[in-house]
Amino acid sequence: MKLRGALALTLLPILLLSGCSVEDDALLVYSGRSEALLGPLVEKFEQESGLDVEVRYAGSAELAAQLLEEGENSPADVFLAQDAGALGAAAKAGLLTGIPDEIYSLVPSGYSAADQSWVGVSGRARVLVFDPGKVSELPASIFDLEDASWQGRIGIAPTNASFQAFVTAMRILHGDARTLAWLEAMKVNAVIYEKNGAILEAVEAGQLDAGLINHYYWYARAKDVGQAQMNSRLAQFQAADAGNLVNVAGVGILNSTDAAEQFVSFLLSETGQQYFAQETREYPLVEGISPADELTPLADIPTPAIDLSDLDTLAETLELIRQAGLI
Amino acid sequence: MPLLEINDVSVCFGDTEVLSGITLELESKQLLAVLGASGAGKSTLMRLIAGFDSVGAGSIVLDGETLSDTSKTVAPEKRSIGIVPQDSALFPHLNVGQNIGFGLSALSKEARAERVGELLRLVRMEEFASRMPQELSGGQVQRVALARALAPKPKLVLLDEPFSALDAELRGQLREEVRQVLRAEGATAVLVTHDQEEALSLADRVAVLREGKIIQVGSPSEIYNSPADVGIATFLGESVLVDGKVSGGKILTDLGSLSALNNVAEGATGVVAIRSENFYLQPNPTGDSEVVGRVFFGHDALVEVQTPKLRIRARSNGPFAPEVGMRVTVWVRGAVNFYPSS
Amino acid sequence: MQRPPIAAVALGLLAALASLIPIGYLLLRLFEGFEAALAELARARTLELLLNTIGLTVSVSLTALAIGAVQAWLTVRTNLPLAPVFAVLATLPLAIPSYVLALGYLSVFPWFSGFWAAWFTLSLATSPYVFLALSAALISSNFAAEEVARSLGKNRWQVIKSVTWPQVRPAAFASVLLVALYTLSEFGAIALLRFDTFTRAIYNAYRGSFDRTSAAALALVLVALTLVVIYFERRYRGDRWQAPTASGRKRRIDLGRARILAAVGLGIIGLFGAGVPVVSLIGWSVNQTGFDLLRLGELVASSLAVAIAAGVVIGIFALAISVWNLRYSSRLSGAVDLTAWAAHALPAVVVALALVYFGANLVPGIYQSIWLLLLGYLILFLPNALGLVGTPIALVPRSIEEVARSQGLSKNAALTKVVLPIALPGILAGVALASLTVLKELPATLLLRPNELDTLATELWQATEVLAYSQAAPYALALIIIAGVPALALNAQARKLISEVS
Repeated sequence: MKLRGALALTLLPILLLSGCSVEDDALLVYSGRSEALLGPLVEKFEQESGLDVEVRYAGSAELAAQLLEEGENSPADVFLAQDAGALGAAAKAGLLTGIPDEIYSLVPSGYSAADQSWVGVSGRARVLVFDPGKVSELPASIFDLEDASWQGRIGIAPTNASFQAFVTAMRILHGDARTLAWLEAMKVNAVIYEKNGAILEAVEAGQLDAGLINHYYWYARAKDVGQAQMNSRLAQFQAADAGNLVNVAGVGILNSTDAAEQFVSFLLSETGQQYFAQETREYPLVEGISPADELTPLADIPTPAIDLSDLDTLAETLELIRQAGLI
Repeated sequence: MPLLEINDVSVCFGDTEVLSGITLELESKQLLAVLGASGAGKSTLMRLIAGFDSVGAGSIVLDGETLSDTSKTVAPEKRSIGIVPQDSALFPHLNVGQNIGFGLSALSKEARAERVGELLRLVRMEEFASRMPQELSGGQVQRVALARALAPKPKLVLLDEPFSALDAELRGQLREEVRQVLRAEGATAVLVTHDQEEALSLADRVAVLREGKIIQVGSPSEIYNSPADVGIATFLGESVLVDGKVSGGKILTDLGSLSALNNVAEGATGVVAIRSENFYLQPNPTGDSEVVGRVFFGHDALVEVQTPKLRIRARSNGPFAPEVGMRVTVWVRGAVNFYPSS
Repeated sequence: MQRPPIAAVALGLLAALASLIPIGYLLLRLFEGFEAALAELARARTLELLLNTIGLTVSVSLTALAIGAVQAWLTVRTNLPLAPVFAVLATLPLAIPSYVLALGYLSVFPWFSGFWAAWFTLSLATSPYVFLALSAALISSNFAAEEVARSLGKNRWQVIKSVTWPQVRPAAFASVLLVALYTLSEFGAIALLRFDTFTRAIYNAYRGSFDRTSAAALALVLVALTLVVIYFERRYRGDRWQAPTASGRKRRIDLGRARILAAVGLGIIGLFGAGVPVVSLIGWSVNQTGFDLLRLGELVASSLAVAIAAGVVIGIFALAISVWNLRYSSRLSGAVDLTAWAAHALPAVVVALALVYFGANLVPGIYQSIWLLLLGYLILFLPNALGLVGTPIALVPRSIEEVARSQGLSKNAALTKVVLPIALPGILAGVALASLTVLKELPATLLLRPNELDTLATELWQATEVLAYSQAAPYALALIIIAGVPALALNAQARKLISEVS
């Protein structure tokens, strides 16, 4: 009978799919970093350690939300996140068991959670990308962008997590009122983009004079097309400016097993650190490992005095960005 | 002046000519039946008159106003022509009263209610005003459809096989009602049908349509008694065809020498068409024919008779119809129509 | 009153319980922080979101209705040239995820954002729902009744208003309900186009501030909105008039010279709804180098497997509820039907997180397995299938079932051997629509999929997340092509009927 045949046909994919279920003994990593990036590193780890690793890829924020819902019963062993905020949320909910001292101490303080709940893996600096043909005088401070002369010339991506982290830093440094004023000025002056990459493309194409992005977008593109072909340049703001924030991708442990610790150590090993540096052009955080390209050394970036653990007040930040009408 | 004039109308769909050279006239308050088998072009003619299709040639004039010719086609809503389609097509979302009042939007509310009431009475549906179409029987549906078409007092009403979906008894009863309603409203109507009994009993004039052409137009009795050709003769009622030859003003056939209704040329050969009710079967123990079959209907009977050379079917008065096995003599009553072979 | 088949009742109750999971979850979250939730709702911003959401939903619903109705009327009822081609064109946006449609425009016009952009994109994306429902309803409506109305002095427009519209109104309302709930729950396109609705605020609450209480409060407002929309739909859709079996030829209306104008108009709509995004995707794909075809093949296979499995599961449940509620209607069956709809405007992320909570803590055995994913799809998309599956089941005359019973068939046998085969085209259409929607779904798939199960949608997300849009293009194209198959299948019935109208 037709109906029965059709049913049998459709049960087949279900059975096939249910075949690829979780291997219970494998290490389960929730990764907010993409498969294209993390996949090869995980394979290398599996080869070196002989351990089985399963990775669940999704957005850092979604994974944090998922972890919060799973609570104590989460099957995840390790949470690798794109930004400090997502890790902070998991830490606050008491889901992270903490990083062992010998691993935690590899990374300079300031790039990990103060309470040792998670550890930084790689860093990214906020920079100004600009078209040297169109910008003759660089802004000294992020607040210089409020000037009417910047109207329609500066690109920002208000929905981007890195931008939001930077605004959070501004709030910590200058207070909510000042930050709101800056955001409102941006509502007037800035061209809005969905992503950092789009800002860089626009500056490169000569459609936009300057933009606020993360440093590695520029270096990744420079690697593809050759540094000599790049039209745009990068610049930092003056010392301790919020615009110079260095944010991190980090990792936390949910189920403290030997395998989980091995995996975290691997991320902070020479191999792991070099891999991120090469693939993403981000800053390696472990001392003594030098970045790819001629990046300004991490220690030389005039970063604002911020404890990254304080970057978890995203709700208030979003509120301000919203009030300013940017999202 | 006739109310409706159809002048030499032709229409083609693609390469096939569906109607050719149709010319018809209809006087006010008369009912014209267009009789034809399916595929003869009846529906197309209806649609041309109603204004849903355009003529290829010729013109249609209603009440002195040209509705269709090759240069223009007046929109259906501006023609004042009501239609009763085959499947009645009552508006499923409106009740009986609303269906009838649908075309009366120009009237005031009171006038509309009055007119609807008038028609409900006319078609004897007073108690059904608030029923939905789904709740009606087949005959009721058609009565409402007729009332709906008549409500705006159209100059002309087109009835497209209005009784075809009904059973025989209901059909006869409704036919009579429709005639009365049309008369009461003083309506002029064109009825399209394939049912000769319907055409003959209802119409003032009958037009026979075959393969897109008008073959014959006349009063019902003219059409019935003097069919223009053998085809019409067999189509309209039951006829027995018998070969014959003209000799001395009479037609010699296997059923004897018959007199012709029409003019005949001496020596011509052809067929005569004899209506089955025109046979008289005289019981006669020494007759040369024998009754071999009989279908009894009550008011009459169809009797099958074997003559020395032919087998004929004769309609006989019910109570007096001969039994199977009886011997009879076959007589032909009155004159017959002779159709010379070409 | 006959008793409904046990299987239908069991499956129906199961589906209703499943739909209650997200609502129960939201109530749980709400009562965890009732004060905070009230504070969230009392803010001026909530009112602004409400107005934004209602404004977008109403305008998209009306526009989609207008587009779909014009497309349906022109292709089914008039002598529009190339009507079947335009029927395909009208269905095509169904195969394009609305975030891809938004991306297509955004990549060409970077300034494309805000209310008008969201309205434009979602109207185009949802108009096929109206087109499919209305073209089917128009074909089965009584053509002769329209001619009678003309003969009674109504012009073409008055006929549409007073005769055609009342006959197709239930179908139109049912499809507009889908459109409205789609708009209420849409996130991807809205986020790309930066227009604030409840759904975007809910996502931001989860993702930006991990604030589950205010997310729950906002989501419950959405549930309330959904119930209001459903109430209005049921109150005003009117009765379903079973058109008497219309005899006679179905004739197309001659548009005269306007037919060319109509064709150009539909062509432009088709260009906006499918042409621009597809062309821009192809443009990107051509610039690709070193694309992994094997990987694409794997993704196509897994996407199809998930979509077909989900489509069949959803179809079975939709069938059970339809049989129960339409052939053995009772108060309980009505409640089950309503419950299935109630969660339909919830953003997928809410449903997914509810199932994460439910799965990880209550049924860890199926957590992160295909079964929980299928449950998620069932909750999200059951209503999409209900309409298509229900209509033919309601139309099978009871007398046919009674004849089957008199021939010695049991109640269940009469259903499976007589009613279901007659309704089969509708059931398959429901399965096709559900599969199609599952293919395009992203947020719930990301959260509920088994570890390491990738589909075209998740890969598309990965690509847009880390790479340039251009690198996502081949996945988007593959998705559109695959989703095009059920979309055209849905349309096949309509096109066949269209060809029968002379």
